[in-house]
Order: sequence, then structure tokens, then C-alpha cells
Amino acid sequence: MSTLEHLDDQIIGRYLDQPLRLPADLRRQIESGWEGAPVQLYALSDLDHTLRLAESWMALGPEHVAVARRAPDGAWQVQSVERSRIEAVREAPGLSANTLTLFGSPGEPALALVRYTHRQRRAFENIRFVLEEQLEGREIPSVDPDRAYADGVARPVREAQALVSGRQVAVIRRLLGYLKPYRRQLTIGMTAATLITLVSLIPPYLAGYLIDRVVRPAREGALSLGRASTIAWLAVAAMALVYVIRQGAAVVRLRLMAILGEWVARDLRSELYEHIQRLSLAFFSRKRTGSLITRVSADTDRLWDFLAFGVVDVSLSLVMLAGLGAVLLSLDWRLGLAMTLPVPFFCWLIYRHGESINRLFIRAWRKWSRVSDVLSDTIPGIRVVKAFNQEEREIRRFGERNQDVTAEFNRIHETWTTFWPLLMLAVHGTTVVVWALALPRLLGTGTALPVGTFVSFLLYTTMFIGPIEVIGQIARTMNRATTSAHRVFEVLDTEAEVRDDPDPVQLRPVHGRVAFEHVTFGYDGVRQVLRGVSFDVAPGELIGLVGPSGGGKTTIVNLIARFYDVTGGAIRIDGVDLRRLDTGHYRRQIGMVLQDPYLFHGTILENIRYGLPEATLGQAIAAAQAANAHDFVTKLQHGYDTVVGERGHTLSGGERQRVSIARAILHDPRILILDEATSSVDTETEREIQEALERLIAGRTVFAIAHRLSTLRKASRLFVIEDGRLAEHGTHHELLAKPDGKYRRLYELQLQLQ
Amino acid sequence: METTLLGRRGAVLSLEERADGRLWAIRGDEERAVWVRRCFPWSEPGHYLSLRDADEEEFALVRDPAELDPTSRAALETALALAGFVFEVTRVLEIEEEVEIRHWRVETKQGPRAFQTRLDDWPRTLPHGGLLIRDVTGDLYHLGKPAALDRHSRALLWAFVD
Repeated sequence: MSTLEHLDDQIIGRYLDQPLRLPADLRRQIESGWEGAPVQLYALSDLDHTLRLAESWMALGPEHVAVARRAPDGAWQVQSVERSRIEAVREAPGLSANTLTLFGSPGEPALALVRYTHRQRRAFENIRFVLEEQLEGREIPSVDPDRAYADGVARPVREAQALVSGRQVAVIRRLLGYLKPYRRQLTIGMTAATLITLVSLIPPYLAGYLIDRVVRPAREGALSLGRASTIAWLAVAAMALVYVIRQGAAVVRLRLMAILGEWVARDLRSELYEHIQRLSLAFFSRKRTGSLITRVSADTDRLWDFLAFGVVDVSLSLVMLAGLGAVLLSLDWRLGLAMTLPVPFFCWLIYRHGESINRLFIRAWRKWSRVSDVLSDTIPGIRVVKAFNQEEREIRRFGERNQDVTAEFNRIHETWTTFWPLLMLAVHGTTVVVWALALPRLLGTGTALPVGTFVSFLLYTTMFIGPIEVIGQIARTMNRATTSAHRVFEVLDTEAEVRDDPDPVQLRPVHGRVAFEHVTFGYDGVRQVLRGVSFDVAPGELIGLVGPSGGGKTTIVNLIARFYDVTGGAIRIDGVDLRRLDTGHYRRQIGMVLQDPYLFHGTILENIRYGLPEATLGQAIAAAQAANAHDFVTKLQHGYDTVVGERGHTLSGGERQRVSIARAILHDPRILILDEATSSVDTETEREIQEALERLIAGRTVFAIAHRLSTLRKASRLFVIEDGRLAEHGTHHELLAKPDGKYRRLYELQLQLQ
Repeated sequence: METTLLGRRGAVLSLEERADGRLWAIRGDEERAVWVRRCFPWSEPGHYLSLRDADEEEFALVRDPAELDPTSRAALETALALAGFVFEVTRVLEIEEEVEIRHWRVETKQGPRAFQTRLDDWPRTLPHGGLLIRDVTGDLYHLGKPAALDRHSRALLWAFVD
């Protein structure tokens, strides 16, 4: 079982309260009713006819569709319909209930009807798609039905959270594994921290010792003044030494752990970024850019904080509390008990406080998101606000929400500013109790209590507060760290969908012959975007890809660039299956000029040399000249050293396009992809770009997507892609000569619009 | 803007549920299998109902079902119950925050249900009060009167209700 399948099963089991598979007994019953024919796809119909939650199933076989419902006695009642009787398939979507109906001849009662929530919709879409294809006379290659079902049901949760929350301990253990390479530093840091904790216990002890064993005996004459002075000064020196050692150890601990935390954060960032670079495009289409950036920046930073300080603070607070408890009890068990017994209660109070603050924060964040909504609505849409003279209303709307969020934050402040002083009062209360218990004994009633011991005791009590705070916050600290660790591990555990062959082939040289052999491809489930596309393109041909949006043109070029692997069939480059090629080497032979070219933050020169950093300045200028970019670049004050991209000089769409063409020319690819390269520029710019493109495409295999058909007149051949198929192909003139041709219709339509 | 019963004046619209299980709309000599979409599912759920055919084209717009004959109205109401179905939450048992998602366990009129929302996807307050929660798959959960729920549910929901 692959990681993904395992994950889907985990998601269904943990979150969705529904069966992981079609029940085995039902499957057997259905298949035996079909004389052994296998179930090819299935879906759970989780609503009954009265729209209550229920468990029914629809299963698809090679010849039949079955609907199974539970009878009152618990047995399965299966009704099978022959697929050949189905004449239409309809899905009626609702707010949360969908209905799939299979129709036979017109006027007949429906052959089958099932209802289901959106959660089951993908699994039903798979069935619907196969049935609709059958009605069109097309066959769909079979898939693993369990996998298709689990993927369909679990996918929305997986896309929101790609890693099922594991046990906190396991996540923390995995995180701590990153400390392994730095064991030496960790050991030194922990030793220093332990030393700090232990030596912190010495000064109060010394204070008590001095009072009971030196000051009092000296005053009472039991100890000579000279000897008392010597001991006192030695004690003072010892105390000074303790502070020096403690602060020395603090330097070692803080510096080492901070640096070590940075190293681990650096390792995580590098691993994460490296992994992100290797992930397939499918991953990026699922995750928001902002969320990925946060994982590399904020989450690793939070992990630094946890590893550098959290781990040590938590473990040493435990040591400190245990140490203090032991010392207090050994000094005087009665007072020790009075002081230590309430500690667990204080920790619990802090934990409860954390929980209630968390609820307040959720509420405040919700209100905060309403403030952000106004901002993200009105700032980009400020022209509309002004055009409709709605400034006052927007100011009022913002004001109300701003007021609302402020009230929530103030509620949080009220809570914590009440809690902490009260907690401190309770802690001081225990000190008062200690005083109350100690005073009679100090005055000579009850068991004797030496004054020095009591002073030591009081000094120790002040040391309780820090560790109690840390222990009380453990849950929050761990939660924050595990959340960040989860978000980081989620990316690290995602496997690249396009992987290199273990023994990859490098084509040297690449000639640029591209052949599609019955290529099928789907981004999602069994729905196919390409349905058996075949063609053979000779090196140096210019192929124009035309057809309606959503027909599959971009998918074809994405497959040529191997951003995805085909689902069925094969793509061959110079006769070798694309999946067998060394992807890195192959992509160096591919150039792309896109509709909205992306320039990185950096100089124009760096952008032109992006694919070939070792190119000489002369080569860069030659590429820019060929791309009709040299002229406008030299007009800029900083020439090729002009910084562009985010926060840099703003170039127009046409200028950016020409820089990207120069980049492609310098890259010198054997196979070139032009995706709507001239669609967003004016006519004059288009002419300049066309000139540049003509220089660029010479001698290369080119696939050009264009909606403006006039730009493809020079194509060697045109491929009309419609509904995932190669609907027509031929030269511009050949296709125009077809009286009912699709290309001719498109061309005439565009002429009319002009 | 004036909206007529049929989107076209003069013709009489009737509706019926046929043996094939679908709602059929008949207007003059035209008839089509249709399904219903509420134009204002939350602010005016009983009015302005769009009847759409299999190609998603509007066949008629019903301003007020009271203007239909009783048989048509009954057929429309059955179709509406299906089109407007959302889970009606009666109790909230658990709301847990996990990495990236919020996990809800609730009891609904339709049965017990667990679902997930994204952490930054907040319940929506509806025009007539009440809350609407949309899970990661698009299923909707309606809490008509959050204040009328039991104490435990109200405490769990407190952070999500104004």
C-alpha cells in the first residue's frame, strides 16, 4: 500500500465515520449476481429517500450497475441494472444533497436513483463519467475501485491537511531527531542548563546556613568572632562563585542552544525548500503560495524557538520543581508540604486559563478576519468604492468591525490581567500560610524552627513561580511546536508524483521528435482530460494547438514538459519513453514562453541568463537583440543592470514578454512551448514579439497555443484539440478547405469578430 | 425590475413529478424536466425559485409558489425539500482544532455526523439569525437558533457566534 493510500484510509477511519471499503460480503453478493464479473467502481450513497443519513452503495461492473440497500433485517438488497439499458445519466446537485438518476427509455420509470452528500460526490462522478463515456461509445481503462473510492472521499480533507495528526509524542520525537547531528552541543547545553538549576539552589541554603550556623552562634558567643568572620566571608565568596558559575553556564546554555536551534531550523528550511523544488506541479495547485512560504519561514522559526528554549525550559522546570520540592521537604516537611501541595493545583489553573484564553482568541481571530475582509475587499476595489461614492459606508463598516475586534481583544486583556495577579495572590497566599505555620514555631511554641532554615525556605518559595508558569504552559508550547512540525512534515512527507527512472536515459543530442501514442490523462479520479491523443511531430516542426478552452491544449504542453506523467499510453521523445528520460537533463532541452511571463527579482541580465548563468555578456546582448528587447533595455537608466520583478522596475507586459523570449533564446532549447505568448499585448507590440518569436523558433520543435488563429498561419501543422481529442489536423490551408471543419468554423468566427 | 411568474408574461406554468422521478415543467406546448434552485436560499428561501433544465438554462422563474395551482405547488415543494436540503444541527458534541483543520462532531436531524472545516473558514451568520457552516467538501450545516441549543453546545459554539 502506498503512502497516499495509507493516508486516505487513515483520513476515512479517523475523520469521516464511513466504511473504508465496499463491505466484503456485499461485494461478493454483487459479483456473484453478476456471474463473477468484478466491481470496477463504487460509491457510498449516504442519504436515503427521506434524506436521512444511511448506508447504501452503488457499484459499477463491466455489464451492470448495482444499487444495494439494507433491508430491515440487516441483509443487503441488491438491484442490478444492465448498463446496455441506460440511455441517460443525470446528476441534480443541491445545497448538500445530490441525486444521480439512471434513465432508460423516455417515459419509463428511472432505472436507478441514489442520493448522496457532497462528501461522496467525487466517487459518484467517477461512476457517472464512465457511464457517460459509454453512452458516447467510449471505453475507460479500469482503475483500482478501492483506491478510486478512498481517494474521492478523502481528498478534500487531504488537501486541507495532508498529514493526519499523529500522536503528539511521535511528532515531538521526530522533531527531536533533528537534534541528533548536534549531540555534542546539546549535551553541553543541557549540562550547562542543569548546572544553572542546581547552583540556583545553593544561595538560599547558604543564607540559612550563615544565619543559623554563623550569625546566631557568634551573637550568642558560641562561636568566636574571628572564626565567624572567616566562615561568613568564605560563604560570601562561595555565593559570589555560585553566581559567576551560574551566569557563565547561562552564557553557554543560551548561546549554544540558540545557535543549535538555528542550525536545526536551517536544516529544516533547506530540506523543506529542496523538497518543495522537487515536488510536482500538482502539489502547488493544491497548496496556497502563502501557506508554503509560511511553512519555510514562520513555522521553522517557531520550531527554532521550541528547540532552542522550549525543550530546555520544560525539562529544567520539571527538574527545578522536583529539586525545590525535595529541598523544601528536607528542610522542614511540614512547611514543605504546605508549600508544595498547592503546586499541581496552580499548574492546573494555568492550564485551564490557557484553554479559556484559547477560546477567546478563536473568537477574536474570527472578528479579526472580518476586519481583514473589509480591507481585502475595498483596497483592491477602491475604484469601485469611489465610483459609487461609498466611502462613508465603507468607513462605517470598517469602524464597526474594528470596534468589534477591539472589544474582543480587550476581553482577552481583561481575562489575563485578572488571572495572573489572582494566581500570584494565591501563590503569596501559600507564603502567608507558611508564615502562619512558622511564626508560632519561631516564637518557641511547638517544634523548633531555626530562623536560618525559615529564611532559606522563604527564599526557595520565590523560586517556585518561574517553573510553575513554564509547566502550566507546557500544553500550549507543545501544541504550537507540534502544529508547526506537522505543517513542515506534511510537505516533507509529500511524494513527488513525477519521479525519475532508477536508470534514466540522457538523450545526447536531443533532436526534438515528439510522439504521442494513445495518450490519456486525468488530473483527478477517472475523469480524463486527454482521451487517446496520438500524433508524431518531426524535429523542427511548428505545431499550432488550437481549440476551445478546457479542450486539453495546456495539458498537452504540460505533459511534453513532463510536469505530469501520462495516465495511459506513452509520450516518446526521439523514440524514447519520456518516463525513462533523466528529467533534469530533458527539461534543459525545453523552453517555455508563457502568456504572463514571470520575471524573478533581480537584474534584467540575471533574468536573461536564468537558464544559462555562465552565458557571456555578449551572448546575453545577442539574445536580447534577437528578442527585440535590446532597444528598450538600453533606454533604461540602469540598462541590463535594472532590477525588475517584485519591488523592482515595472516593465510592461510586452517588455516582460521580450525578456522572457531572450531568456528562452539563450537557453537554446530543442523543444519550445509557446503558451498564448502574444495574447495580452497591443498590435504593435505583438508584431515585435512575433518577429522575436520567429527568430526563436527557427530550427526547433515548437508547440504554440494561440487563440488568435492569425498568429499561427506559419505553423507547419495545426492540431485542433477538442474535448481531450485531436479533432482535426493539417496545414492552415488544408483545414480551411474542409467545408464543415472545426478549424474553419473557428477561423470564420474570429474573422467576423474583427 | 419586474419579475413575472414565468419570466414570460401570459403563459401558464404547471409542474408535475413523473414516473421517471423528475420534476417536469409545462408551459404552453413546451415541457422540460427541471430542477429547482433558490435565488435567495437564506434571505428569502420561499420565493424566487429558478427552474433550470439539464443544460443549466432557466426555463422559468417562480416568484411565489402561491401563484401556482395546488398540484404544481405540491410538486414544487417536494423538489424544494431536496434542492434545499442541508444538515440541521441539533447538538454540538465536540469542536477540536487540529493542524489546518477544525474537527466537528455534531448531531443532526438526519443523524450523527462528523465533519471538518478549514481553520480560517468561519461559520457564516445568516440574515435571519442562525449559523451556516460549510465543510471541506461543500456540505452545509445549519444551526437555526444557536441560542436555543443545550448548554454544552452553546459553550462550544460561543467563540463562533456573535
